[in-house]
Order: sequence, then C-alpha cells, then structure tokens
Amino acid sequence: MLHMYLPIAGNSVNVFLIFGLGGFVGLLSGIFGVGGGFLMTPLLMMFGIPPTVAAASDSNQIVGASTSGTLAHMRLGNVDIPMGIMLLVGGVGGGTVGVQLIKLLRATGNADFLIAITYVIMLGGVGGYMFWESLQGLKKDKIQSATEQQSEVTQVTTKKSLLQSLPFQFKFEKSGCEISMVLPLLIGVLVGVLAAIMGVGGGFIMVPVMVYLLRMPMHVVVGTSLFQILFTCINVTVMQSYSNHTVDFVLAVLLLLGSTIGAQVGTAVSKRLKADQLKIMLASLVLLVCVKMTAGLLMTPAIMVALKGGH
Amino acid sequence: MLIKKTLPLTLLHILAALLVIPSLAWSAQAIEAPLALNLSSRTIQISTFYNGTTLEVTGTVPVDNDIVLQVSGPKQDVHLKVKGKIAGFLWMNKDDASLENIPAVYMVYTPPGTIGNFISSDLGIGYKALLKDISISPESSDKAFVFGEYVKLMEDSGVYAINEAAITYGEPNNGTKGFSATLSIPSKMAAGKYTVEAIALKDRRIQGQTQDDLTLELTGLPAVISSMAFDNPLLYGFMAVFIALGAGLAIGVIFRGGGGAH
Repeated sequence: MLHMYLPIAGNSVNVFLIFGLGGFVGLLSGIFGVGGGFLMTPLLMMFGIPPTVAAASDSNQIVGASTSGTLAHMRLGNVDIPMGIMLLVGGVGGGTVGVQLIKLLRATGNADFLIAITYVIMLGGVGGYMFWESLQGLKKDKIQSATEQQSEVTQVTTKKSLLQSLPFQFKFEKSGCEISMVLPLLIGVLVGVLAAIMGVGGGFIMVPVMVYLLRMPMHVVVGTSLFQILFTCINVTVMQSYSNHTVDFVLAVLLLLGSTIGAQVGTAVSKRLKADQLKIMLASLVLLVCVKMTAGLLMTPAIMVALKGGH
Repeated sequence: MLIKKTLPLTLLHILAALLVIPSLAWSAQAIEAPLALNLSSRTIQISTFYNGTTLEVTGTVPVDNDIVLQVSGPKQDVHLKVKGKIAGFLWMNKDDASLENIPAVYMVYTPPGTIGNFISSDLGIGYKALLKDISISPESSDKAFVFGEYVKLMEDSGVYAINEAAITYGEPNNGTKGFSATLSIPSKMAAGKYTVEAIALKDRRIQGQTQDDLTLELTGLPAVISSMAFDNPLLYGFMAVFIALGAGLAIGVIFRGGGGAH
C-alpha cells in the first residue's frame, strides 16, 4: 500500500484511496455540475485531514476537475458563458457579503443553530421538490415525448411578465431565455451569501436555482455551473494559500489526478441521461446529504469536542 | 555505671551512623548502575512516502526497579469547539474553549504489571498528571471534561496513548536488567522536537529519570512544499491553481483525442 505524506495536513494517506475518492467526486461533478465539497470535505476529515486543510485543498482540486469538466461540456455546447459570468460576479459579491453577515450573526450567538436549520431545510426542500418534479417529468415522458423546454415554458408564463419588466434584457442563447441581466446577478448574490454562510461551494444551491428560477435546460445548467465553480475555486485556493496556509498541494494533486478523469467520464455519462433522470439522481443525492446532516444533529456525538475550523 | 557506659556508646553509634549512611547510599548507587536510555535513532526524516515509523528504545535499569517511558511533544494551545444541545435536541458545536500549555504528543509505555503502579498524578505520569499542568480558557469551562474529550480525539489520531505492558525486560545481570520497547511514531506526529523520558520506579516512588531528544524533520518534497507554502504563500497559491488548471486541460485534451466519438 503506497502512502504519501501530506506536508500541510501533517498526515499520511493511502495514494490509491485518495485517487479513488477524487475519481468518485469528479464523476459526480461531471454528471451534475456540483463541486462536491459537501461530500469531499467530510470524507477527507474521516481520513484524518484537518477540516480547514480538507476544505482548502478540495477547492484546489475542484479547479482541476471543473477545468476538465467545463472543457468537456463546452465541446457539447453546454456552457452559457455570459450567464456564467453574471452568476459569478454576483456570487463573488454575495460571498463577501455573506462572510460579513456570518461574523455579525456569530456575534449574536445563535448563528450555528440558524445555519444548521437553514441548511437542513434548504437541502430537504430543494431535494424533495426536485425529486417530486422530476418524477412527474419522467412519468409524463412516457405519455408524450414533448421536449422539456415546452413543458417548462407553460409553467413559467405567469412569472414572465414580471421578469420582463426588469431592465438590461439580454438573450442568453445557450440557456434559451431572454431575461434581464440583473436576475442572474441577483441570484449569484443570493447563492454567494448562502454558500458563505454554510461554508460550501454553492454548486448544490446553484444548480437547482438555475433549473427552477432561471428555467435553463438541465444540460446547460451542468456546464455553466462547472464554469462558474472553476473561477470561484481559483479565488478560494489563492486566498486560502495566502492568508491561512491551508492548501495541501500534495493532497490536491492526488485528488485531481482522479477527479479530472472522473469529470470526463461524468460528462459522458451525463450526455446519455435525460434531464429528468439527471435531476432525480441529483435530488436523491441532496436528500441523502440532508438525512446524513439531520442524523448528525440528532445523534449524541461520540466525542464532545472538535478542533476549531470545521463546518 | 551501666548508664555511664551506654552514653558514650550511643554517641559513638550515632557518629558512626552519620558517617556510614551517606557512604552506604553512595556505594549503593555505584553498584546499581545508573539508569541508561538509548534510542535507535534521534532524528526521524519525514520524506515523500513517509507513513509513520517505529523507534526502538533500549536501556538498563536497577534490577528491583520498574521502568516507564514517556514521549511528549511541543507544548501548544489548542482551540476547540465544545458540542452541546441546542433547542433541547440538536447536537452542535456550541461553545469555544482553549486548552493551554498542552503537549501535541503524549504517549506512555508501561512494563507488565498493574497499570496503577506506574501511572498516577503523584508520579507525574499519565493523563491526570497532564491535566494539572494545563489551563483552560474561558475559565468557566469544565476543564476535566474538555480535556477528557480532547484526549479521546487525540487517541483516535494516535498521538496520545497509554500503552500497557509494552516494555519487556531482559535477564538480570550485575544488579541491573535491560529493557526494550518499540515506540510507534504515527504519521500524525508533526515535525518538531520531542522528549523521550525513562522513569525508574520502585514501590510507586520515582528512583531516577533520564531523557533524550527526538527530532522529526521534513525532508525532500514535503520540506520544499511546506517552506513554499509558508514563505511564499501567494506564489504557492498561484502555482497550485496553475498546476490544477494544467492537469484539467491536459486530461480534457487527452480525452478528446482518445474519445473522438462526439
């Protein structure tokens, strides 16, 4: 069993284990357009990596996986660059606001409680809705092979008049919608704030938001989300290296050897799946994380202290 | 008459005793060879493929004494989150607490026998002895409880341990006996200076102690990466990003070349 020493994490890991972990999370990333931090960070902590190093090195790894994934999705015409940029700009702004907000909340005392509750309710709500909605879609598919866009257009007409009254209307071609540029910007801010508060990358919130609020086709959502995540994680990696010295380069390289390949395979898998199948799988994953988090909150912990810096 | 005779005798006896006792003690120490401790290596190199190691410890101890080994590492302050119930049913990180002046590594090795003979706070050996030296902030925190839970956390990662019956003795020879133990050096034990201490005990009293330094140092790739991360953090961050980008692009290109099925 080949082990390597991680100089920043201060621990040794099995090379093949970390490679496999990277491959698995990269696969999810290519299929669903999520960064996978929600899975990776706790798994790395299980292998004895300090939480802060796990999160920061994971961002470094996501840079590799999302570059690989974005490239693959771009070739399939699944990346809406203007949309991605607007979400990104909003996300960076929102993240900055979120970090300040969390400081404010912490000062009042009950922040952690609020965060955990918001997290569980959001995961449960988003996952549950997505699951139910895509289940309906899958049933409908059997009766009529109408394209998903048509069915979505009928649902969205009521909201349309309001959205069209916003300034800076722009035609997002890949996403197949003409909306105000303000909208993705605002959504980016919202997701950025939530991501900063919860301490996650935000792919998990961003994907459902793009699907249900922006009504973008699922495959374009995946590609655009990866594009957006790529830049977010570049920023996080540099910031974490600079101010906290928490990026373990050896760990990141081991992970990204697996995850870049996983992301390519994931994209190929994603291409073969229908939008509703993708949604229902992602929804199941979200619900699983929700159940795990709830269990963690309800069960008496084996050890009553934790090193500071985890989520 | 009788009394007259006894008095000088007693005085003589006392004088003799005063002269003899120190010299007896002196000769006793000379016969029972002093405590000796040898480490198979005083420096451990942490290189690219390092995955923890072991360290052989040997030495001698007076034949009627027992030996306890204690490995301890740099004193530090640790910042913790203490879990607690919120709203009556949700377990969450609730309060902050810091343990101050606590060693990063603490391992005890005892010979075969009742553990209580070797470990107690009076002897300065064991977790309870450690508890005496540390302080907690805020002071309102339950020190013993937080420390106890922290010990569990550290035991999980292998840097705190009480290893019972982990020392073996050799045959007695000339009033002394040899001892040996294999110390485990877990990969979680960071680069730094540590102390290996041998404590000789008899009837739950310390008879003597000696110690040696053990140094763990980074070498090769881990040393290069670590110094870069701390000395040139901005450059390090950009390098990490560029290599990740490069790897992502490279894999992307390889897959396009290899797949070609689109």
